[in-house]
Amino acid sequence: MNPKTGSTIGRVATQVLLIALAAIVLTPLVWLIAATTKGSNDQFHYTFFAPTVSVQNYVDLFQKTDVFQHNLLNSLFLASTTVIVQLFFSSLAGFALAKYEFKGKKLLTVLMLATLMIPGQLTMAPLFELLHRLGLVDSYLGLIIPGAVSVFGIFLFRQSIQAIPDELLQAARIDGCSEFQIYRDIVMPVSRPMIGAFCLISFMGTWNSFLWPQIILHNRDLFTLPIALSQMIGLYNQEYGMLMAGTLISVLPVVILFLLLQKEFVAGLTAGAVKG
Amino acid sequence: MKKPASEKSRSFRRQHKLAPYLFISPFLITFLVFGFYPILQSLRLSLYATNGPKSHVFVGLSNYQFLFGDADFRTAVWNTLVYAFWSVFLQLPLALGLAMLLSQKWIKARGLLRMAFFSPNLMGQAFVAVLFGILYVPQYGLVNRALHPLLPRLVPLDTKWLQNPNLVMPAIVLASLWMYVGFNMIYFLAALQSVDQELYEAARVDGANAWHQFRAVTVPGIKPVAVFVLVTATIGSFQLYELPYLMLNNSAGPKNAGLTIVMYLYQHGFVTGDLGLASAIGWSLALGVLVLSLFQLRMTGVYKGEAS
Amino acid sequence: MRFFPYGKAALSFLILSLLSGSWIGWNAKMAASRRTPPGTQKLTFWVFAKAHYEAYRKALPAFEAAHPGVQVDMQLVSNDGLAARLQNSFLADLDVPDMVEIEISSSGTFFRGPLKDVGFADLTDRIHQTGLWDKMVHARFAPYTSRGRIFGLPHDVHPVQLAYRRDLVEAAGVDVSKIQTWDDFIRVGHQLTKLNERYMIDLSDSSTDNVETCLFQRGGGYFDPQGKCIFDNDVAVQTLCWYVPLVAGPHRIGNSLGGGQVLTKAVEDGYVLFLVAPDWRSKSFEKDIPRVAGKMALMPLPAVTPGGARTSTWGGTMLGITKRCKNQDLAWQMAMHLYLDKPQLAERFRQTNILPAMQEAWDQPAFHEPNPYYSNQPLGDTYARLAPSVPFQYSSPFIQTAKAKLGAALVSCVQEYNAHPDRDLTPFVRATLKENADDVRKLIARNPY
Repeated sequence: MNPKTGSTIGRVATQVLLIALAAIVLTPLVWLIAATTKGSNDQFHYTFFAPTVSVQNYVDLFQKTDVFQHNLLNSLFLASTTVIVQLFFSSLAGFALAKYEFKGKKLLTVLMLATLMIPGQLTMAPLFELLHRLGLVDSYLGLIIPGAVSVFGIFLFRQSIQAIPDELLQAARIDGCSEFQIYRDIVMPVSRPMIGAFCLISFMGTWNSFLWPQIILHNRDLFTLPIALSQMIGLYNQEYGMLMAGTLISVLPVVILFLLLQKEFVAGLTAGAVKG
Repeated sequence: MKKPASEKSRSFRRQHKLAPYLFISPFLITFLVFGFYPILQSLRLSLYATNGPKSHVFVGLSNYQFLFGDADFRTAVWNTLVYAFWSVFLQLPLALGLAMLLSQKWIKARGLLRMAFFSPNLMGQAFVAVLFGILYVPQYGLVNRALHPLLPRLVPLDTKWLQNPNLVMPAIVLASLWMYVGFNMIYFLAALQSVDQELYEAARVDGANAWHQFRAVTVPGIKPVAVFVLVTATIGSFQLYELPYLMLNNSAGPKNAGLTIVMYLYQHGFVTGDLGLASAIGWSLALGVLVLSLFQLRMTGVYKGEAS
Repeated sequence: MRFFPYGKAALSFLILSLLSGSWIGWNAKMAASRRTPPGTQKLTFWVFAKAHYEAYRKALPAFEAAHPGVQVDMQLVSNDGLAARLQNSFLADLDVPDMVEIEISSSGTFFRGPLKDVGFADLTDRIHQTGLWDKMVHARFAPYTSRGRIFGLPHDVHPVQLAYRRDLVEAAGVDVSKIQTWDDFIRVGHQLTKLNERYMIDLSDSSTDNVETCLFQRGGGYFDPQGKCIFDNDVAVQTLCWYVPLVAGPHRIGNSLGGGQVLTKAVEDGYVLFLVAPDWRSKSFEKDIPRVAGKMALMPLPAVTPGGARTSTWGGTMLGITKRCKNQDLAWQMAMHLYLDKPQLAERFRQTNILPAMQEAWDQPAFHEPNPYYSNQPLGDTYARLAPSVPFQYSSPFIQTAKAKLGAALVSCVQEYNAHPDRDLTPFVRATLKENADDVRKLIARNPY
């Protein structure tokens, strides 16, 4: 397929096909929005929107469950805190790997690559045991500390920092900058697009994670949104509208962030793959 | 209070030598304690039967023995393999096809279309599962309402996607297709953009048709990305858990039709409390993934060059 | 930006983290000070059933008023994974509530290890000392008993009837009083069922909910009182051979589309006419399908053989006090308040339709009142009449696996019957049940505890 072989008919057909496919992809999302506006016993009386739009489901969501606002805040806190911690750890380590020679660098790189290939579920049982010994089960630290390490993030930063010319860093050293000042005043400001992408990718990772929070969190006041929602399925199977309102609200923050950071996000997502 | 130049440069050199260790240490310590140590620990733990984290009984290799004799484990492995197969052989070609169509310069509203295809990926698997659990409802659900008029014989209105064991896997594959096709498309789009357009010109001058161009120019051009996507998609599909688990109402579905390896691990380790068996399952999963990824890298001829 | 070199995007995440973090911290502090003013005692109580939760919310202020300085923190939690989470909390020394209601089929989960490791307090002595043993339906203690010790108070009896669309059934010229046995029921079912449009009864071909009710009615079950797995015995084989053709093959009269809103629509549309209705579910219908009020009615379950029991059972709840509860006496008093106070029970019945396990309460007026939703039938009486014949259920630590395996066997048999409706189903049913029961036995044998 190339730009000049397509005839006009082919082009129109392709365009129509793509629009049709996009419409199919978007349909479940439209249904989701519609479902949140329907009254509790009208859910299946109308395929999409009912003649009257109600916000009752959103009201119910916060009043009936009496914990949903906590879940929302919990998720925001956990995801943004993890972003900051991961950002700090990964950018420092990525800088070290990109611009310094030190003992054990090769070994460490190989080790990290290996863990990228090993599914995290392998360590769940021993990690749970370890956290139990440290008294971190059923606490946010049990999620934040093991989640502080993002090998993916390190490779991302290593790659983007490698592109910074060494002369720039050398010049700073001659000007009397300490190594940490170089990191803070030169390397990080230059890497901002990558930071934006990394923040969103890392935020989405924590925001959507389910299995580990399900294992670690036992108290419903600590539940994050995916866990809370999974618990609502059985409890409120009569209130589909409310369930869908919960789903929509859970997705909204990610959508907003995506719209703000869209450009950096796509660049960051593909950086590892295209260059690697 | 200016230091002499030589002393200053010595302190710089010392700093330069020390800095990487300082920079890497926060990561390294966390990684060793919470990432690497548990890997070793899981080897030991897989030789024990446990009742929660406090009580252990040494059982030798009998956890592994139990796994290989357990029908549910076989079901879990089979389901996971089937899912992985479809996510590789259905999802990736579709993603590539979409990317090739979308990469045509004359397509209108490319940005909007790209976003439309990508948008489902903004929802986490858990949220997609909750949504599709309702879309798949028989008689009144959107999926049946949409498919029944198109295929009246094949999809009766009361098709029970999530209650009929034969339909559970197609339902999972369909939901995951919806969720991930746009995500993988983004990678292929980026790869296609990096292919040198002049190579197409040259091929056309040589009289190559569309298929030959695809084989001779596109495939080699996107190969590194394609391999990356292939390997990550495979690893990802082996970790399937919350999509079926929540879509099937916090269960493995009828006749365990939605049971995956990770779900099996969760049930034994964190419902029954047998952390030892969970470790044994974890090792089986990790070895499977490792063998398959290495096989894929071998087959596609990109065995080396990653670490550089 | 010298102190924060990561740019605006990251800065906004930092601000978000600090804001939400301090909100959470402040909120937790507020909640803690609100919940326990100095000198008060707090009882934490987990409830999984929404109907119970709403009813207890009305009943608890009286308890708090009678016990100054006591506060009850009741939380509605989902039953999905509740037992697993609680059991893991027991095993990992995490915070657990003082009191919990547990669903009948997960109660066994807690009895896996040695008796001293069971997370619930042993109530046997209290039950005998206070004479409760004689006041409550004995059958309902069985599932909460392990090795002779009782760990939970039964909340209910849960006799089963059938609820049906009276308007549609009468319009079809059917006289339900003539339906005495399942044979009668099936005969009428064949007349009224029109495949893909209308089914006689809402019966599931994939979940165990309905088939286990039928199994119990015939005297079968998952486990015997000694904890041996028995769902492949002759009773079970007969039950399945009878049940499968009801939901599969060309002559089926039952179909189930699912629960919740789907069921609401199916009943409104007349897609299903009869529904299996234990007392608790009769209230769900009232609440979830309000549009058919007055058009519904109840009838006893058809008997297996003429003159046989006209009921079975579905579901149940126990109330347990955890060993970690600091003031066991207070918790016991609250249990008495919720489960044994007669005027309370009458009021609760109006809100939940649930027949309490304490027989003495059943003679109060609330149990004789006509129920307008069910065509003014005296709902309490209809259930109370059947209560003495409610069959026993026994539990086991492996009950969840057993349920899943019976479900798998059901699905296999349904598939087999759909493929070969003309063959004799019995050998296949027998082999499938045995295979699945053997899986459960293998798991039991593996348990080192």
